[in-house]
Amino acid sequence: MLLVKFYLFCSLHFGFLWSLVLPSRQFFFSSLCLKSLKNLRLEGHVAPSLHPSISPRTGTPTPRRERAQRGAKGSVDLCDELALVDVIEDKLKGEMMDLQHGSLFLKTHKIVADKDYSVTANSRIVVVTAGVRQQEGESRLNLVQRNVNIFKHIIPQIVKYSPNCTLVVVSNPVDVLTYVTWKLSGLPKHRVIGSGTNLDSARFRYIMAEKLGIHATSFNGYILGEHGDSSVPVWSGANVAGVSLQKLNPAIGTDQDSENWKDAHKMVVDSAYEVIKLKGYTNWAIGLSVADLTESLVRNLSRVHPVSTMVKGMYGINDEVYLSLPCVLNSSGVASVVNMTLTDQEVAQLKKSADTLWSIQKDLKDL
Amino acid sequence: MASTKEKLIAHVSTEQAVGSKCKVTVVGVGMVGMASAISILLKDLADELALVDVMEDKLKGEAMDLQHGSLFLKTHKIVADKDYSVTANSRVVVVTAGARQQEGESRLNLVQRNVNIFKFIIPNIVKYSPNCIILVVSNPVDILTYVAWKLSGLPRNRVIGSGTNLDSARFRFLMGEKLGLHPSSCHGWVIGEHGDSSVPVWSGVNVAGVSLQGLNPDIGTDKDKEDWKSVHKMVVDSAYEVIKLKGYTSWAIGMSVADLCETILKNLHKCHPVSTLVKGMHGVKEEVFLSVPCIMGSSGLTDVVHMTLKPEEEKQLVKSAETLWGVQKELTL
Repeated sequence: MLLVKFYLFCSLHFGFLWSLVLPSRQFFFSSLCLKSLKNLRLEGHVAPSLHPSISPRTGTPTPRRERAQRGAKGSVDLCDELALVDVIEDKLKGEMMDLQHGSLFLKTHKIVADKDYSVTANSRIVVVTAGVRQQEGESRLNLVQRNVNIFKHIIPQIVKYSPNCTLVVVSNPVDVLTYVTWKLSGLPKHRVIGSGTNLDSARFRYIMAEKLGIHATSFNGYILGEHGDSSVPVWSGANVAGVSLQKLNPAIGTDQDSENWKDAHKMVVDSAYEVIKLKGYTNWAIGLSVADLTESLVRNLSRVHPVSTMVKGMYGINDEVYLSLPCVLNSSGVASVVNMTLTDQEVAQLKKSADTLWSIQKDLKDL
Repeated sequence: MASTKEKLIAHVSTEQAVGSKCKVTVVGVGMVGMASAISILLKDLADELALVDVMEDKLKGEAMDLQHGSLFLKTHKIVADKDYSVTANSRVVVVTAGARQQEGESRLNLVQRNVNIFKFIIPNIVKYSPNCIILVVSNPVDILTYVAWKLSGLPRNRVIGSGTNLDSARFRFLMGEKLGLHPSSCHGWVIGEHGDSSVPVWSGVNVAGVSLQGLNPDIGTDKDKEDWKSVHKMVVDSAYEVIKLKGYTSWAIGMSVADLCETILKNLHKCHPVSTLVKGMHGVKEEVFLSVPCIMGSSGLTDVVHMTLKPEEEKQLVKSAETLWGVQKELTL
């Protein structure tokens, strides 16, 4: 019997969302988006076959048996067991009870919670939202050391109880913390993923689609690189029905563009700050985006998502940093990375982010 | 010089764009309102969602956060405003606005605070959506559904209280835990007042049509060695307990609201325990709203199922009705 335990893990601090408590909003919420798994057997899982434009990530094909527990969600169910962890015990228990009371409407029969990590044993996926959250006006990079110390406690415990899991890091600054998680976990790099620019790209697609009067899913465009102020919108790839916007408007994304499409990217970067200013935190969009990633991982979909992965060796980057690139996600984690053709300027931006991230990472203690 | 959009897209339709056919409004963007909103969005129930509240920043922030998730949703229009014109032509309006229960506070204590809020909200709702169905969630829900009905001037089939839909869901969850079954296979109805004096109808509790009372005649009484009665007690205590632990309840009530909206919007004619006018039923003489099993569809609450209740159960309903009426008659509407 294949059992999959979807594991929501959080460590709290300030009690609210974003990089915070899973159970409370963001994660409950992404757990809400999870689809149910029937009993599946995953054995001898092998990395997908190569496509000329995709560089392979060697996942270790290992026959494995996992216990799948049905997860529940509003319309689709991703997991058959959901575990929540946090340090604030009352809040944790209250959230668990509130979710359990909705069991009639869900298809995840087991929802558990405990301060002790043993409750997380044998999880297939562990989503980490633990940590302190961005204060109004605070940049993501300022959160770093505070969150590294929390992770030193969390990550080894996760891996102790679920040595075969795939880790999805959401806490900010996500690129640095995904690197930290990778180091602390000892897991192979394709099993540690950062939510990265998955959300930025979703916001970008929404904003661009609104300008064009279409649904977000019909506008294709990626934002890559650092999740935050220096993310890189890949204008060359932006298209509707395969029609490149840049071909119609060669100035798109530049300051010379009279239509000022560049503003759409600026709105994406400002979004988080704006929502935080208005309601104190963000949760719905990030929760939905994490559930979307989890679906690809759990259902072995091999869909492409812009997520934070180890990019050393690509685009002239020589440091061990995590940045978002379009990755093929399936049950082995990051199976491969799509080689996007980037302009020199875009590559330079990635390299610059990599340098900034490395300058922070090299000073982190005890990894 | 044609814009990028004009070069990309040629507009060919000669008709006016059709407005929303399935619009839902949620009044109040607190924990319950947002949990209801997200549950409705995740179930793809509406083609337009409107949010209303008096706290403008919070309202705008919540709307933006939901809109940023549009890629993952199938509700293309999410709008929000302090002004009720944004709610025009809604099919269902979910009212979660109002003060919430404090730790240890009973639902009846919230009454007058919430009546005053409703005097502003309800007429505005009806002004912009005269054909809508109002689903009241704010507590004390039975009294506030009565208040909403009076203030709206709508017929009684279009003003529904979320009532004991949640209590019954909690009951079925707890029953499922005891029996090792999924809640959807455990049937049990909790009716009457949503709150301390709700009534578990033990005679109806069954799995696959097998009456548990038939197997255990003491079920629900103090004589019952298996103490099934505590299952109902836990249901009553649930809200207080969750509030004590995390400060409020949201997820379960949000899901139960979406469940009710689904029945209404999709015209399912499903039976749910919801709060409706029960004058003349089960010996109730006053104009009060209590939960009984009701059939709902797109015109709202169309029918009520006659439960065969024991004399003690009917007595409890009558007593709740009297308590509620005692509070209602003091209200200035």
